[in-house]
Amino acid sequence: MSIFDDLPGTRLTPGTITIPAAEAAQLAEVLGSDPPDDGRLHPLYAYIAAQRGIGVSVSELCALAEFDVNDGPLLGSLELEIQDRLRPETEYRVEGEIVSIVRKEGRTIGTFDLLTFVERIVDQSGRLMSTATVTFVLPRKGAA
Amino acid sequence: MTIQPGAPLRTRRVPSVSAEAMKTMAVVLADPNPIHLDPAAAKASGLGDRVVNQGPTNLGYVLDMLRENFPSGEIATVSVRFLANVFAGDDVTAGGTVQSVTPIDGGGHRIECDVWLDVAGRGHALAGRATVVTR
Repeated sequence: MSIFDDLPGTRLTPGTITIPAAEAAQLAEVLGSDPPDDGRLHPLYAYIAAQRGIGVSVSELCALAEFDVNDGPLLGSLELEIQDRLRPETEYRVEGEIVSIVRKEGRTIGTFDLLTFVERIVDQSGRLMSTATVTFVLPRKGAA
Repeated sequence: MTIQPGAPLRTRRVPSVSAEAMKTMAVVLADPNPIHLDPAAAKASGLGDRVVNQGPTNLGYVLDMLRENFPSGEIATVSVRFLANVFAGDDVTAGGTVQSVTPIDGGGHRIECDVWLDVAGRGHALAGRATVVTR
């Protein structure tokens, strides 16, 4: 067996996230835009809160794929489905699982793996707020 | 802007991507990856001598372009591929094109758009598709 057989379907440790209200202004400063004025957070929080709230770090996630985070995982693609934007100062639960890991060959980076995982944010009542499907590119130095 | 298939979206330009903003975004993302913070780390990773903008920030520029085009709308879906890095000092422009407009029950529309982020002189850094629902 290998990671290509074992990892798909692996549940990621769930976690919780609460975004402080002050962060809305920080993100707006980064983007050079006005924060939403309707009491909810920027739609990018469908990714930010998922990534921060899941109970596994990027380093630990990479380790599951037998990849050292210091070798530089790249964000390859991202899909967001947003049922409702998050609210600040509100606790949400984040859960998810690994969808796939596939080996590829590229002209510039050589051998790499595409690690795809999904993270769902749900509110205290269990209502789905958003889903993030993330694909990391994991360059495999020296792999054939 | 006329919302019909083929119509270009109003672009949103960031004339110079800020290295200072990357430090703030590292806190927002809880991502201490040094390629976003230290030019020496970017260089050591073979990425050149400028810090690399976080991918989610690049997507954020596109989401804000959509927010500006559809101020009463809600972004329902977005799906993008990250095609190239954006570096400190880069001049980037987010834009897109309306692909379809579908009426929805109860009034409003579901608007599908192609979206992209261009770096001046280098082409797409990001490209994909988004859906905005207006009521």
